[in-house]
Amino acid sequence: MLATSDAAAEAAERTLVITRVFDAPRALVWQAWTDPDQMVRWMGPRGFCSKVLRMDARIGGSYHFYMRGPNNDDHWQVGVYREITPPERLSYTYAWADAQGRPTRPETVLTLILEEQGKQDQSDSVSSAVRLGHRARPPSRRMGSSLDRLSEYLAA
Amino acid sequence: MVQHARESGRLNATFAALADPTRRTILARLAAGEASVTELGEPFAMSLPAISKHLKVLERAGLIARGREAQWRPCRLEAGPLKDAAKWIEHYRRFWEESLDRLDQYLWELQKKEEKNARNK
Repeated sequence: MLATSDAAAEAAERTLVITRVFDAPRALVWQAWTDPDQMVRWMGPRGFCSKVLRMDARIGGSYHFYMRGPNNDDHWQVGVYREITPPERLSYTYAWADAQGRPTRPETVLTLILEEQGKQDQSDSVSSAVRLGHRARPPSRRMGSSLDRLSEYLAA
Repeated sequence: MVQHARESGRLNATFAALADPTRRTILARLAAGEASVTELGEPFAMSLPAISKHLKVLERAGLIARGREAQWRPCRLEAGPLKDAAKWIEHYRRFWEESLDRLDQYLWELQKKEEKNARNK
């Protein structure tokens, strides 16, 4: 039951926001996200294996991913790249789809912001903070780019 | 196509209704139990017609239901649409949290391998 106004506020923003810090330079995180061979090594929940059917990582380019779940359940995702600024910003549309790449669920927008946090303490380790925003996209686009508003939201 | 357009429309009605802080406060109050329009208006420096307007938006989005009695029309929370919105977020939270766990593990292994290769050179 979603009873608190906090949870309602998150729902109101139509955006799931997750921030993670990785013990890795930003360039490595970027590659893991944009190189199909690396992406299949980690994309999807535990027990899923994935395959990149198409990945044209340039603005306006599209992708089609396949995922098999732990119960041999089949899933596909499709979307279009909207922003690619290596190694700091990546944004693409995202929808569950069928084997032919036709969306079966409402389209959403994923935005990643990567920040390198520099060397911490005395060790040589470099860490990177990744802010992931996953937004349910409103069908009307009358209020300008929802992407701009998302970046403002993520930057706040 | 039609089915997910409808689903998207429904989610958007929920989200739009939730976008206003007054309406969120009203929902939080109703989570504690039924209330009249007057009771709901108490925390706000707002006229009853203004509160009624907010209630209409919530009612249209299916987030609340109102009693039939003419004078005392108690409002109550309808959990369904809120649950759908929360479900949307939870679905993707799980997907991404678990993917990011795996990414963390992958990056760790990748760097271990690189270190080992550097040492062996």
